[in-house]
Amino acid sequence: MTVLLEMKERLKLIYSKSDVFIVPVVKFLLAFVTFNTLNSRLGYMALLDDMGIVLIAALACSFLPLGMIVLLGAVFSLMHMYALSLEVALVGLCMYLIMYLLFFRFSPKDSLVVVVTPLLCALKIPYVVPIAVGLLCVPSSAVSVGCGISVYYLLELVAESAPNIRTMGDEDALAKIRMLVENFLANKAMLVIIAAFAITVLSVYLIRRMSVNYAWTIAMIAGAMVNIVVLLVGDLYYEINLAVGSVLLGSLLAIVVAKVIEFFRFCVDYSRTEKVQFEDDEYYYYVKAVPKMAVPMQTRTVKRINSQRTREAEGAGEESLYAAGSGRQGSRTVTTERSVPAGSSLQRGRTVTTERTSLGGNIRQSGGQSGNARQGARSATTERSVSGRNSARNAGRTQGRSVTIGRAVDMQEDFDEDEWP
Amino acid sequence: MLSEERIILMTRMASYEQGEGRKNVKIGNYFRSDYITVQVLKAVVCAIVAFLIMCGLYVLCNYEELMQKLYNIDELLAFARDILTYFCVMVGGYGVLTYIICTWKYVSAKKSLKCYYHNLKKLGSMYNER
Repeated sequence: MTVLLEMKERLKLIYSKSDVFIVPVVKFLLAFVTFNTLNSRLGYMALLDDMGIVLIAALACSFLPLGMIVLLGAVFSLMHMYALSLEVALVGLCMYLIMYLLFFRFSPKDSLVVVVTPLLCALKIPYVVPIAVGLLCVPSSAVSVGCGISVYYLLELVAESAPNIRTMGDEDALAKIRMLVENFLANKAMLVIIAAFAITVLSVYLIRRMSVNYAWTIAMIAGAMVNIVVLLVGDLYYEINLAVGSVLLGSLLAIVVAKVIEFFRFCVDYSRTEKVQFEDDEYYYYVKAVPKMAVPMQTRTVKRINSQRTREAEGAGEESLYAAGSGRQGSRTVTTERSVPAGSSLQRGRTVTTERTSLGGNIRQSGGQSGNARQGARSATTERSVSGRNSARNAGRTQGRSVTIGRAVDMQEDFDEDEWP
Repeated sequence: MLSEERIILMTRMASYEQGEGRKNVKIGNYFRSDYITVQVLKAVVCAIVAFLIMCGLYVLCNYEELMQKLYNIDELLAFARDILTYFCVMVGGYGVLTYIICTWKYVSAKKSLKCYYHNLKKLGSMYNER
């Protein structure tokens, strides 16, 4: 677990350092996969089914807001539909407009959900969506999930009906529209899945907000079970021929993904839960405080050993220095730097530098810390003169000294008291 | 000298202003009734447009049946009555739903802004204490 937590801290550090590059790259990849999937599923317009166009569109999306992926995805799909038939494009446009006007305006920030839901449906792992959305979003995001599923089934319907539509002539325009609309509305599987996912999102959200231990774990397992039950009931009632095995496997996968999300988003230590009770003039407060799990990253040690001769060394005479037992070199500098960029919530970005210059019997040590606002910047310098033998002993101790992480104030005490008694 | 408490407060407030606060400040600029009225009006317009689109699709799907109904005045009246009922249910229902959601949004935004302004006052008093 410690290794995982360290890895998490490292990832967070990498993200915080270079999110300017990571976010556009992720957006680019998402847009690229989305447009490519659309082209592979529909692909009726040869002009759009071109890697260059996809790359340009994905590149544009990487610098634009996330909603542009939704917009360009809709434009791509409508153009493919138009290439198939004008009537199909008309039906597609009407569906998109209805979704936008009635549903999507309530949760405009859920562009990611609207894009990812059909994508995961196409990849046959849709059961991750309701649990992840329930854990990370608000209840109104269930609407976005529903929109995503509708889009997926609309595109599937177009792809399935394409051979029939191609055989129909221009005189059957109304028949094409009727066929698409009736098939879309009569798609019981879509309705069952929308209902199941909406109920799952709401139940996961409600459970994970409860003040019970392991609420997130309970929420994801309960959500997966609710999803399975509603889908099975819908299957029995409407006979939608659901593959039970894939539902079970998909739900297991969803729980695994949800555990990963929990690790990154809600990693707490319930064993150290504190319950406090206090009051003010107006209220009694019953507070349950659950500490977050966090470990600092491993310290990085950089040692620099510089060998040099100084004027003092030359002036004092080499022989006496060798006799003092400070080694073969007249002047020796040992620099040890320890860097702790990310620690607990109180201790971030600390650097401890220990520098010793042994010149005959003189040792200089300086320690500096730079941390967050709570710690501020501290520095301490200690200069002591010790004999050659002590010098060698202390030098060894300094190089091998371990730094206790998580005690910001004790750190300095260790530094002063233990190292230099 | 740097005050840790002040820096923490300022950081939190800056984070709020950048994210959720921006939206809430916009909502907070309205009176409650004005905000809800504007949102309900927008919703009604959207619902009417969506209803017209649905009607258009229905007409295209059932074009032949509707043409036959045109010649029978009773059927036509019954059809018009049905359409009007659906219209009222859909637009009215959507308006009510928007009213509930916007009321909740406004209340939560105001609560959040109250906390923000309280923090602003606290920050001001911290500066005055110096």
